[in-house]
Amino acid sequence: MDILSHLTPMFFGLIAAGTLIGIIFGAIPGMTATMAVAVCLPLTYAFGLENGIALLLGLYVGGISGGMVPAVLINIPGTPSSITTTFDGYPMAKRGEGERALKIGIVASVFGGLFSAAVLFFFAPVLADFAIKFSYVEKFLIILLALTVIASLCSNMLMGIFSGVLGVWLSLIGTYSITEGGNGETRLMFDFMEYYLIDGFSLLPVLIGIFGLTTVLLDAEKGFKDETGQGPISLKGGAKFKFKVFKGQLLNLVRSSSIGTFVGILPGVGGSAASVLAYSQEKNFSRDSSQMGKGAPQGIVSSESSNNALTGGALVPLLSLGIPGDSTTAILIGAFTLQGIQVGPLFIGNNIDTWYLMIIALLAANVLMFGIMYFAIRHIAKVIEVPKYILYPLIIMMCVVGAYAINYGIMFDVWTLLIFGIFGWVAHKIGLETVPLIIGFILGKSAEVYFVKSIESYGNLSIFFTKSPIAMSLWVLIAVSLAFAIYLRVRNRRQATVAS
Amino acid sequence: MESQWLSLLDVSIDFDQSHLFFPRIVTWILVILLAMIVITRYRLLVPGLKRAGRVLAGREGEFDHKRFFGTLALTTAYFYLMSVLSDVFPNTGYSFLIMSVLFVFLLSLLYVDHLTRRLFIILVLNALIAPTLAWYVLAQLFRITLP
Repeated sequence: MDILSHLTPMFFGLIAAGTLIGIIFGAIPGMTATMAVAVCLPLTYAFGLENGIALLLGLYVGGISGGMVPAVLINIPGTPSSITTTFDGYPMAKRGEGERALKIGIVASVFGGLFSAAVLFFFAPVLADFAIKFSYVEKFLIILLALTVIASLCSNMLMGIFSGVLGVWLSLIGTYSITEGGNGETRLMFDFMEYYLIDGFSLLPVLIGIFGLTTVLLDAEKGFKDETGQGPISLKGGAKFKFKVFKGQLLNLVRSSSIGTFVGILPGVGGSAASVLAYSQEKNFSRDSSQMGKGAPQGIVSSESSNNALTGGALVPLLSLGIPGDSTTAILIGAFTLQGIQVGPLFIGNNIDTWYLMIIALLAANVLMFGIMYFAIRHIAKVIEVPKYILYPLIIMMCVVGAYAINYGIMFDVWTLLIFGIFGWVAHKIGLETVPLIIGFILGKSAEVYFVKSIESYGNLSIFFTKSPIAMSLWVLIAVSLAFAIYLRVRNRRQATVAS
Repeated sequence: MESQWLSLLDVSIDFDQSHLFFPRIVTWILVILLAMIVITRYRLLVPGLKRAGRVLAGREGEFDHKRFFGTLALTTAYFYLMSVLSDVFPNTGYSFLIMSVLFVFLLSLLYVDHLTRRLFIILVLNALIAPTLAWYVLAQLFRITLP
């Protein structure tokens, strides 16, 4: 088999390197898996497709996993998806069980990661086979559904929808491509901008700006204050970790991993929602949840297994429909495009070797994450203390490399990085939602092609409702997602009123 | 009767103007959504804008003007000078290397709270070693295009 020729020491070495770098990024509060992938993108330009994928997936898994370290040791989640790890991890660390808490999290993470990889392996091809039958109408409705789900789950639905539509609008700047059946004319810009924006804004500089530079600006504004007010808790001494702590936790592991995978499949919902949902389910359904929030291992198990299960889940819509499941997979879609891969319903069938390599890389990344974190956790914990005045200038420098090299040396891409870095900061200040915005940006051009082609083919708007049972079902799902969001809002408002 | 109703939904796209068809729809949706946001949140909007003005002017809240605007100024200067210098050293990555050394050092200096002699040496070494290493690995080993 050709696939075996790609399983070289280099392939596994890059997974290990990616996982380690990802863990380090995840372990530094404020730096996320998305940032790890964005900053390390330039490294993949030098590698072929297979090795590039190995590095990227290692970064993804490592980045998500590393977030537990500061969550346990300084009570600040390294990544948003580790928010619920602080509830029980930090109390355990305070009573001298920091290493035990981290190792419980590591084992739960590897379980969640492997569980979701298995779901990805079995479910993505089925979904892709189904999606192959979609016409332009259904493809447009799928994008509409994705944007509706993302927007409806935002903290403010109206702002979420606005952000998604703004992302679509930004993606339309440039030429209406002849290769997509357009007329080759430019739009949404002044004449003097044509030289720079003839092809619109490049995806990756936009993403690197929003996830790299914006983070630096947000921290610069705060003046890099020590948010903990105290140093990290030492891992020396304390209670030892034993695997028997997982006795009776199988149901928790499976349920939390399932929740994480499912949330990952929903586009744009994010890891924090997965871990909060899994944590609350464990609290509601476990036989004894009285110690949760005071340092109970079961809380860490539910949080960490669910957030790592997100990784495989988020790759399902990416690889089968071409729709990113979260912000990190949004960058992955750009990285794959750069490597010549067009993700979507035809991806798995046309690139079967690459598909298997991805699964192997994802499994290996989880296993290596376990090995690195389990045996070197005391060293990794020191990463929290690396000062940001050393890191952030280097991050901006790497962002420049990533943006400049994407189109083989276009300086405007570097300016795009700055424009969207500032835009991301402003968006954060005025309450725009970043995830719907970038997913709208990624899917906007495809949405236009599918929408216009559908109308050109059928000449009537009713086709979007009557084309097929699938189209009707998608409208039902859009309505359900909106209704569910409105129901949640009304319920939360009522609860808040009762509480006050 | 039914076909009469359906004909109301007929749409034809003029190819010469087809590049504007979808953007116009999206722009209108954006305008409507913006109007809805302004209408539903106008009570928060004006005080929010006033507060943002006060924070940016340094009259309220905790906003580190020196570090925030310093980051923006240094980053803009870094990009601009890199672009200028890349005309002097085209396709070598030297422009990236020289400007990155300066940028990393100055930005680190901006972010440090209490500068000691030891820390100063660390910052200088970091500014020299990290960009040189990045330049060597990316431009020389991996042959990645750098400014």
